[in-house]
Amino acid sequence: IFQAMDLMFMALSYFKRRKFEESAELCTKILEKNPYDQAAWALKARSLTEQVYIDEVEAEEQGIAESVMDDVSVAQVSRPGTSLRAVTGASGPSPAVRPVSQSGRPLSGFVRPGTQSGRPGTMEQALRTPRTAHTARPVTSASGRFVRLGTASMLSSPDGPFINVSRLNYSKYAARPNLAKVLFEYIFHHENDVRNALELAALATEQAQFKDWWWKVQLGKCYHRLGMFRDAEQQYKSALKQQVMLDTVLLLGKVYQRMDQPLQSIATYKQGLEKFPDDRSLLVAIARVHDEMGQLDDATKWYKDVLETDGVNVEAIASIAANYFYTDQPEISIRLYRRLLQMGIHNVELFNNLGLCCYFAQQYDMTMNCFDRALSLAEDEQLGDVWYNISHVALGIGDNNLAYQCLRLAIAADNGHTEAYNNLAVLELRRGDVERAKSLLRSAAELAPHAYEHHYNLATLAENAGDLQTSYSSVLKSVAAFPDHMDSKNLLKTLKQHFESL
Amino acid sequence: NNNWLNAYYDPVAGIYTFPSCIALADLNSDGDNKLVIADLGSGLYKMTLKVFQGTSVVQENALLDLPTGIVSVYMDNMEPRTPGIVVASGSCLFVYKNMRPYYKYPLPLLPVNEAEKSLWNAVRNGDVVADALTAALSSLKDEIYASALTSQTLRFLQLESRDEAEAFIESHKNVGLKRETVVTCLATMKKSVAEEDAISCLVAGTEHKEIQIIDSEAFTQLKSYNLPSIPVFINVSGLYDVDFRLFVACRDGKIYALKKDSTEYRVCIELGSQVVGMERIHKHMVVATMDKAVSCYTTKGKKLWSLELPANIVCTGIMDQKAKGFKALMVGLDNNEIRIYKDKNLVDTLTLNDRPQAICYGRYGREDSTLVSVTSSGALNVHILKRTAEYSEQSGNQGQLNPQKTKLNIPKKTQLFVDQTVREREHGTEMFQSFQHDLQLIRLQAAKTYIHGLNSSITPISDDPDIPLKLNATVQGIGPVFQMMVTVENTASSTASDPKLVSDLKMMFKFSDKVYTATPRIFSLPPLVPGIPYRFPIRIECIATDQPAQDTVTAVVFTRSKPKPIVTANISMPVSEGVVVV
Repeated sequence: IFQAMDLMFMALSYFKRRKFEESAELCTKILEKNPYDQAAWALKARSLTEQVYIDEVEAEEQGIAESVMDDVSVAQVSRPGTSLRAVTGASGPSPAVRPVSQSGRPLSGFVRPGTQSGRPGTMEQALRTPRTAHTARPVTSASGRFVRLGTASMLSSPDGPFINVSRLNYSKYAARPNLAKVLFEYIFHHENDVRNALELAALATEQAQFKDWWWKVQLGKCYHRLGMFRDAEQQYKSALKQQVMLDTVLLLGKVYQRMDQPLQSIATYKQGLEKFPDDRSLLVAIARVHDEMGQLDDATKWYKDVLETDGVNVEAIASIAANYFYTDQPEISIRLYRRLLQMGIHNVELFNNLGLCCYFAQQYDMTMNCFDRALSLAEDEQLGDVWYNISHVALGIGDNNLAYQCLRLAIAADNGHTEAYNNLAVLELRRGDVERAKSLLRSAAELAPHAYEHHYNLATLAENAGDLQTSYSSVLKSVAAFPDHMDSKNLLKTLKQHFESL
Repeated sequence: NNNWLNAYYDPVAGIYTFPSCIALADLNSDGDNKLVIADLGSGLYKMTLKVFQGTSVVQENALLDLPTGIVSVYMDNMEPRTPGIVVASGSCLFVYKNMRPYYKYPLPLLPVNEAEKSLWNAVRNGDVVADALTAALSSLKDEIYASALTSQTLRFLQLESRDEAEAFIESHKNVGLKRETVVTCLATMKKSVAEEDAISCLVAGTEHKEIQIIDSEAFTQLKSYNLPSIPVFINVSGLYDVDFRLFVACRDGKIYALKKDSTEYRVCIELGSQVVGMERIHKHMVVATMDKAVSCYTTKGKKLWSLELPANIVCTGIMDQKAKGFKALMVGLDNNEIRIYKDKNLVDTLTLNDRPQAICYGRYGREDSTLVSVTSSGALNVHILKRTAEYSEQSGNQGQLNPQKTKLNIPKKTQLFVDQTVREREHGTEMFQSFQHDLQLIRLQAAKTYIHGLNSSITPISDDPDIPLKLNATVQGIGPVFQMMVTVENTASSTASDPKLVSDLKMMFKFSDKVYTATPRIFSLPPLVPGIPYRFPIRIECIATDQPAQDTVTAVVFTRSKPKPIVTANISMPVSEGVVVV
């Protein structure tokens, strides 16, 4: 009896159970018998698409071309607090307390696409991989990264592609809405051929007499991928007029962020909240925008709103915990990290953070335990961070020898660990090895031109040695990285006096 | 700004000038004041004297040398009262009258060194050849100051080839030796009457540390003073025939006072920084210096007050409204502002589009209160002070800063924290013991890992006192081709006797053959000088094209004499981008 079961029914059943490969195989069998079976064809296209489907709202990463040659943002020099490019008007702890990422933005408590990179100031910064990211930036977002993220077009199939996109007659398919939608998703997600997808969508929306919001959203997605943000905005807005959908609101907000209009983006999300009150994805999106603008207090407020409706949101918990840690309330951070632990998250980063929180909240009996676990879980590149944190504890209890060893181990594990270089330089200086301290600070400056500590340390060292010129050039970099750093400003003043006096 | 009307703005006037080279004068005695600017051109050529009337240049005269100062001066008693324009340029004073060249006054020549004179005489007679002359002159130059030699000698010593030298001798041997000086600053002093249009004499400072007073009617030198340094600013008060006093700011950062009845100088003010501008307001000297300060001194040299400005001072000027009896100091700042200080109160601020390089206040056209400013981009601004403008002493916001009242952002202690302290109090001993126990374990683990790293030399910093090296690398690019910048540094501290070079080293890269290729894979390092980072670019290509690959590349520095590597760096490569077919 089982043999006689309808193949189409089985394929559908597999599809429902998210067994897409089996479903696609069965559809292939049906299509071998009857190449014109539209149902099988559509189901196969959908199964193939589902295998590689990624959420367009989440997975966006800016490429080098977009971030360096940015021509869509409205103002090159924006007013404070209205741009993602330069962090001005930030709230929350200063860089002296909370470290910053390459773009000068406070480190976020949760890694997601875009948090590590930001908008680089120079081409070299754009090309260089940030220490904590470990994947380089794509050239443009329209190219390779999406190939890797979610398409199968790279994988060669033995008997040619399922649908030969270049030979399709789009106007024929556009006239049949049920097939067209499936075909569009296949081309867009599976083949990653945005141009052809756009052509199909344009024809289809015309066929639908511009009354189908779904096609407008798809058109917007295509424009977005092609970097035509104004057109995308227009399509999304038009779609929203017909039908307010969560997805569309999120996409529209995303477009505004790409155009460097974060306030407009927030306004869009807030409008969405009126229609979909307490929606988690909208709340998270608003929090993220605040986070990227460096407004940590606001971001924390929104993350708390997220937790009210969704108590197990990892991103919200982690971000709030990081914020509490850096605003001098590590005891609350412990609570939040413990909650993550209870939720079953069991990784190096969590233990590493928990260890440091315990130390600063004076729960000493837990500290080393956490670090020990982190060490046993860590891979090479995470190992550097764990040793670095242990060195903090060692410095705190006055064991310089252990701190020195830990920092050396951090550098051995991760050759680009700037903070470790900086701290090691200070320890070397205490040991009296000035040359090595200088050399370590120089490498730190080379690895991370965005942080201020090593620039300031190098400037102080050079000033003590009487090398005013080096000191001056370093302290200028330090002031550029952290304009409010009082010690740097004082040093700059002293140097100016040196230069001006007769 | 409320107090000023923007009368004229030419952003592409292309003027390059300084405050001393700008003057307002009634050149045709028709009551219509012109603006005279000595333009430094490119700084090397195209120096011109420009006369502006209204918004246009009405006349331009070429200047032979860089102008250092211009003044307008009445030279005779003839009617109508037409002033002459005196331009200090090179070693001469050029006088223009009715906008035409009128007279050229070369400053008196200085005595030529005897040895130098005899050398050139010998050349003229053909007794000395070029090589010998060069040798003799350069030894002479070492003996006495270069400024004591003539410009002909100095030019000759600059020549590089022998042919040039011979050609130079040929063309100059029949020219008499002259030792000229250069005017550095210029001012005027009324001769016998203090009227607006009375005859004045000229006061010029020279490169040879001299101040000369020159009669403008007959062009004869009336008096001269010697100073210990080169004058840059002159300030005059009094009348030549009655009594006068000169204040001269010099390049050594001191201001000297000179009097009529003695040729001796007196050090009046010793400044901590170089002078940018010096003005006299009523009985006080106001001096702007390079350390962003404006200070006021009495003529005796006593400091009355000092202000620190928010930006570097570029130029100064005097705003003298005779009708209102208002005299104030104008300061052009680096942050594009012109600030007006009445005594030490800031009364007005005018913001320009660029850094003001020269400012001048006075009567332009028929408007009494005009401010002319030239910015560093070469733009010319003319602002007119509104007649309704009122400057009172109080209008400046020079009030003291409020004492700090900002509260430190310290969060309140939470209940959670209190609970934790209770726990700490109750279980203090156990917590401490447990911490110590764990700490010992971590210490052991760290030491073990550390010693393992040292034994197998997998650290990027070497502890060997003979070969103290440091290695680090950054990776640039997105793949499949990466550029790895490897930096090697010798961290020994070198002394003059022992340079502590490290030589005979090689660098090698270790990676999975299936994933990467590196060029060069192994190469010799040059001898490493301590304290200099050596950077080597390495091309790494990811050859695993079928799947996104990420791996670690290990850089190793080793030497032939040791079996173990000296330093090792593990560089984790970013995920490689696939080959993009466009």
